[in-house]
Amino acid sequence: MSGTAPVSAAALEPVRRTLREAAQREAADILEGAARQARELEDAARTEAAGILAAAAAEGEAAARAEAARRSARVRRQAHELVLAQQNALRQDLQRRLREAAVALRTDPRYPELRERLREQCRQVLGPAATVRESPEGGVVAETGTRSLDLSLPVLAALVFESAPEASSLWRR
Amino acid sequence: MTGSPDPGAAPVEAAASPQQIGVQVSYGDVRELRGPLLVLGGADGVGWDEFAEVDLAGGGQRHGLVLEVDRDIATLQVLESTGGMALGGIRVRFAGRPLHIQVGSGWLGRVCNGRGEPLDGGPPVTGATFLPVSGWPLNPVHREPPRQPVLTGLSVIDALTTLVRGQKLPIFSVPGLPHLALATQIASQATSEGRSFRVVFAAMGLTHADIAYVRDRLEERSAAGELVLLLNAANDPVIERILTPRIALTVAEHLAYAEGHDVLVIMSDMTSYAEAIREVSAARREIPARRGYPGYLYSDLATLYERCGRVQGHDGSVTVLPVLTMPGGDITHPVADLTGYITEGQIVLAPDVLARGIYPPVDVLSSLSRLMRSGAGKGRTREDHLDVAAQMIAAMARARQAAELAELVGVAALSETDRSYIAYRTHLERDFLNQGPEEFRSLEETLDRAWAALAALPPAELTMVSTTFLDRYLPGRKDRS
Repeated sequence: MSGTAPVSAAALEPVRRTLREAAQREAADILEGAARQARELEDAARTEAAGILAAAAAEGEAAARAEAARRSARVRRQAHELVLAQQNALRQDLQRRLREAAVALRTDPRYPELRERLREQCRQVLGPAATVRESPEGGVVAETGTRSLDLSLPVLAALVFESAPEASSLWRR
Repeated sequence: MTGSPDPGAAPVEAAASPQQIGVQVSYGDVRELRGPLLVLGGADGVGWDEFAEVDLAGGGQRHGLVLEVDRDIATLQVLESTGGMALGGIRVRFAGRPLHIQVGSGWLGRVCNGRGEPLDGGPPVTGATFLPVSGWPLNPVHREPPRQPVLTGLSVIDALTTLVRGQKLPIFSVPGLPHLALATQIASQATSEGRSFRVVFAAMGLTHADIAYVRDRLEERSAAGELVLLLNAANDPVIERILTPRIALTVAEHLAYAEGHDVLVIMSDMTSYAEAIREVSAARREIPARRGYPGYLYSDLATLYERCGRVQGHDGSVTVLPVLTMPGGDITHPVADLTGYITEGQIVLAPDVLARGIYPPVDVLSSLSRLMRSGAGKGRTREDHLDVAAQMIAAMARARQAAELAELVGVAALSETDRSYIAYRTHLERDFLNQGPEEFRSLEETLDRAWAALAALPPAELTMVSTTFLDRYLPGRKDRS
């Protein structure tokens, strides 16, 4: 096997043994070091994984809490919008009824007097030269040159409605 | 039938007179339509700044404000612009006074457009009082100096540029930075210790995506009836933006001075507002000043910002937080420049801070709250607050120098002290300046984090903080001594 003489081989035996033992010791050390390193890596990885898991859980919890808060707020917004829509419907209904009641004033026995007062009003505002005609919906409409004044009953009803802020108590709680 | 009056009916005299209910003469002599302007002839007796309703031939309606009166010729700015209008058939009715709105707590929880009309499907907002949107000039001696902080729950603002009740503190930003996220976070988190707090958010020229973001983020506050939202989108009429901040401030003033709330008015983005002013000015062929903005931009902005404050004999306060974007990051841009003259400090956002992954990207060394001393310290926030803030800013300045030096010679070549300043900055950026967009930090937590960052410096460097505070607050102080 080896190219050395048997005498030399015997003489080299202690060297071989020592080298082998040193190599074995070194291999054992390396093995142990690797095992220790593997253990450490594993521990670090476990710790890191636990950290990531905890962070992810906390993040998820926070996100879920935020999402729940958003969802709850959104539902409250929808509920609020329903209430507002209902209030608006009531307001529009009131406006419509007021308009109908105003138009119905044409059959009131006091209507001719009211119409005369409105005519007078138009002349006061636009001057005596103003042309005043009756509006088909009741009340009057006056014109002079490029200026005009609409005192028809629906317009007057709308103005009364808008100039009375306390009316809002009728459609708000 | 005799035609005799019904004896049970009320006499006609009992009804309101046409003047009382505000009947309006309508004028039809429209001479010219030019951009946002409408020129009307034969308009005797019309006053400057009067509000007007413009009835179109097809039945639509627009709104206007009188900008100029020359004998019987009135020039109006049409808020919705004159696009699609044609001469003939247009009638203009004047309200006889500047634009008034009804104010009161009915605004809380509502979402309206830039003109104050509902966007939430509800009825028009009503209130017991009518107030002009241009506001009343306030006697300067009736003002009270701002005091006590408004806490935003954001470490960088609460600790280093404390917002004070009644202050006007703008956010200077650059397009592309998260200034809207920051303004929205402040709107959703801000409080004043132990007092009722309300927020009026005036959005001007925002995209629909941004508006959706603002609505979602502020939903909680809106649902609690603590928020008024005025939304003028980017594609809404530009001229309407001129009214939006004024309506917001009028609503806020009533909530503050009549109802005793602390009100924070956020106006975003003031650059869009200034562009609306520029558009009207250009249409009026006025001589432009810097960058085409009119020469009166300073006084116009002042009429808005100066409406903040506290008033003697009234409990509430109006704090104004305008947000403005500086095109190209140019701090000499007229809007930023003029705003800086009027306001009491600024919060500056910087792209390089954002690039380091920090939200909110506040450039600490360029930001300042001039009234901070009135709102922070013993009896207002915490005894150590002002000392800590001064120390932190001084240390940030030194850290910046050390970092610049390190770029040249390498960190290893720096002195031990300089390295500690770099460690301080790293710690500060990671644990103090950086904050989640939905994260609220109490003032205690903020100051504790500040102390934790200062602990990275050698105690000998902490020369701006008294030893009493060092002993009381510096982490690990006892172990070191």
